[in-house]
Amino acid sequence: MKSRILATAMIFLGGCASQEMSIRSQPPENPAAENAAAAESAAAFAAAATAAADTNVAAATNTDGANGNAGGNAASAAAPAGGAAQPAEGAGQAPPPVTPADAPSMRTYDPWERLNRFTYRFNARFDEAFFLPVANGYRRIPSPVRSGVHNFFGNLSEVDSVINYTLQGRFKFGVRSLGRFIVNSTVGIGGLFDVAKKLNLPGAPTGLSTTLAKWGMHPGPYLVIPLLGPSTLRDGLGFVGDYATSYAVDVAKLYRGDLSWGLGAVDAVDQRANVNFRYYSSGSPFEYENIRFLYVRKTLIEDEGLRAKTAKKGDKSTTQQENETDAPAGK
Amino acid sequence: MKTAKYISSGGEIRMRPRLAHMGLMAILAGAACAQGAEPLPAQVIAAPPAPGPAAGLADSAGLRSTVFGTPPKDMAPMPTRVPLSEINIALSWARPVPDVFWFDRKLRVWFSPQDKPAPLAIVISGTGSDGNTSKLSVLRGALYGAGYHVLTMPSPTFPGFIVSTSSTGVAGDLMQDGQDLYAAMQQIIAHLPRKVKITDIDVIGYSLGGANAAIVKSIDGKMGKLKIHRAVMINPPVSLFASVGRLDKLFAISIGSDDDAVDRLYRRLYAELANLYRASDRLQMDEDFLLGAAAAVLKTDAEFSAAIALSFRTDLANMFFAGDLYAGTGVVVDPKNPPKVDDSLAQIQRELRNKPFSEYFTRVFAPYYLQHRRNSTAASLVADNRLDIIGDTLRTDGDYYVQTNSNDLILDRRELAWLKDTLGSRIAVYDHGGHLGNIGERQQVADMLDMLAGRWAGASR
Repeated sequence: MKSRILATAMIFLGGCASQEMSIRSQPPENPAAENAAAAESAAAFAAAATAAADTNVAAATNTDGANGNAGGNAASAAAPAGGAAQPAEGAGQAPPPVTPADAPSMRTYDPWERLNRFTYRFNARFDEAFFLPVANGYRRIPSPVRSGVHNFFGNLSEVDSVINYTLQGRFKFGVRSLGRFIVNSTVGIGGLFDVAKKLNLPGAPTGLSTTLAKWGMHPGPYLVIPLLGPSTLRDGLGFVGDYATSYAVDVAKLYRGDLSWGLGAVDAVDQRANVNFRYYSSGSPFEYENIRFLYVRKTLIEDEGLRAKTAKKGDKSTTQQENETDAPAGK
Repeated sequence: MKTAKYISSGGEIRMRPRLAHMGLMAILAGAACAQGAEPLPAQVIAAPPAPGPAAGLADSAGLRSTVFGTPPKDMAPMPTRVPLSEINIALSWARPVPDVFWFDRKLRVWFSPQDKPAPLAIVISGTGSDGNTSKLSVLRGALYGAGYHVLTMPSPTFPGFIVSTSSTGVAGDLMQDGQDLYAAMQQIIAHLPRKVKITDIDVIGYSLGGANAAIVKSIDGKMGKLKIHRAVMINPPVSLFASVGRLDKLFAISIGSDDDAVDRLYRRLYAELANLYRASDRLQMDEDFLLGAAAAVLKTDAEFSAAIALSFRTDLANMFFAGDLYAGTGVVVDPKNPPKVDDSLAQIQRELRNKPFSEYFTRVFAPYYLQHRRNSTAASLVADNRLDIIGDTLRTDGDYYVQTNSNDLILDRRELAWLKDTLGSRIAVYDHGGHLGNIGERQQVADMLDMLAGRWAGASR
């Protein structure tokens, strides 16, 4: 009996090893629906382009000093009317506009590059062999069900958002996250439905990383986290902190109970299924460099925005200082 | 994946990869002009085509179409559901895989089978692109909807193809790439599940893929292994090196050719994006923000040109690196000490940013092929990479078709005239679309399907 199992296993494994070609079924495409959605976005885009063009004409008549402001109008007009307006923040005295000279170097501070590259490769293999197939399977579940799952976990994370908005001193947002949590947990049946969004309270999650940024912490070195992917030291700390917060608060005993591992896994799959990224689909030998570049630039620009949006009168957070903090990146 | 939480924060499950790509690419272009500093010579690009202008036949509208593609409202009707399988195949003739390309060991193609006997349409991607681009996705939808099995393949200039399939590792030679493609097609078709019944085979390709498709059909005409019936070339080049030369020139004009050009572009773009983001009410740089920002920063011909040129340069860097590594020409890769899997490639990438195609030709491509092809000269290598190597076949065989645009930036007037003269009634020339900017449009799809079915009645309609 034992030998028969062994023989079967050998044939099976051998068969796998000599497999020169594999065919894997992917989620089907829905071009008709995609086109309809794209048409909608395109209409919003066209409107935004027109708005931007209009404001630019106005900007052209302004002096150089007002340039940043004019660009600003263009941007707010340019943002498609997809979500409801976010609460206005007291940008009493916005720092001067970012100039090309303020931009951090194209080189990214990555002192742990060899380890990061190793982790990136590990993540790619893990994703290809396990995570992505599971996420693709998950994508076959009808979309209303997936929305429910997604909303459910989004709702749980509101707790962390409330705490962090409070720590950031952005109380309007904190109150809104709290309102969302209450509405969606009750009317939205435990968070399965995002009722608050329909009530003009769109989600605006935040986390410890943003809080640290608000407190003046630089993103720090680039860091590839096992299983999670591209990150920075600050985002990594933020992730750990957010998890610890959730664990400490333990909403509905979901984070410490017997179910916690299962729920964590579903959350991870849901998040993966919502990210349209595949390791090495670029085929490029420079993929590590490209992802690193884009990720860190995105973080730095979001930090610029955070500083400008939450700047108080008398706050002297200029981009010049920012540039100095970036010194290691220019190494 | 860390970004998962942020990207999906809107609770929106459905994705719009096409738009995301468009947005990003558009954004990349924005820097060319920011803050009105140092006006760029937009008029050079916008000027009406003279012999050998920077951007071929492109006009302003052509540049915009090239970046944005077909407006969704003009798209041909598409099926609601297209099944899709991914095929990974290891090819027996593949060369040893260098460490840094460990992920490209197998050729990856995509297949959408009908559940009844049907003709097979093989679609080949454009320069540097994989086998599942948004353009391929559109063509797949149209062809599947018309009853074809659809197989989409990467360009022979895509790193995944160079590593897994190329028999030389030095991409860009029409005949060599055509032979590799043809061999790969045979392997793939031989391994398809038995329940897939193929009644006929046609090949389609866009951009460089168009030229590849025609060459593959001409090779099959001699070998007869697949009995390819018809070939449709969408926006093909006529002379490969003349076309990429135009893209090099576009880069020099819109971005610059000095060492700091890319850095300048990046700094302008960074500043403009940061200012737009600061002024917006967004809490993350999400897709909606990027779309809005693209609308705000992409305005002039120079900016659109920069987007096109940069996208091409990025693809070229991959091909350049692979070619240099395989051929051992030592331009950016030390042949005695090639980079290992965990080595940083940032320095090499920086060097390649400033290297135009002409440098790939003179320092990698030509040295390799002069050594491996008897009696060849630099001039003969250029001549070998013109569509007229199969000119007679194109002229006499009624199964080759072309769809192109009168404002395609990779062609000039002489080349367009040559195409018209050679294909006769088998060419459709649209008066808009730039380069590939009308793929999926109602007329383009209808004409392509007519051509494939042999019922194309000429451009007179």
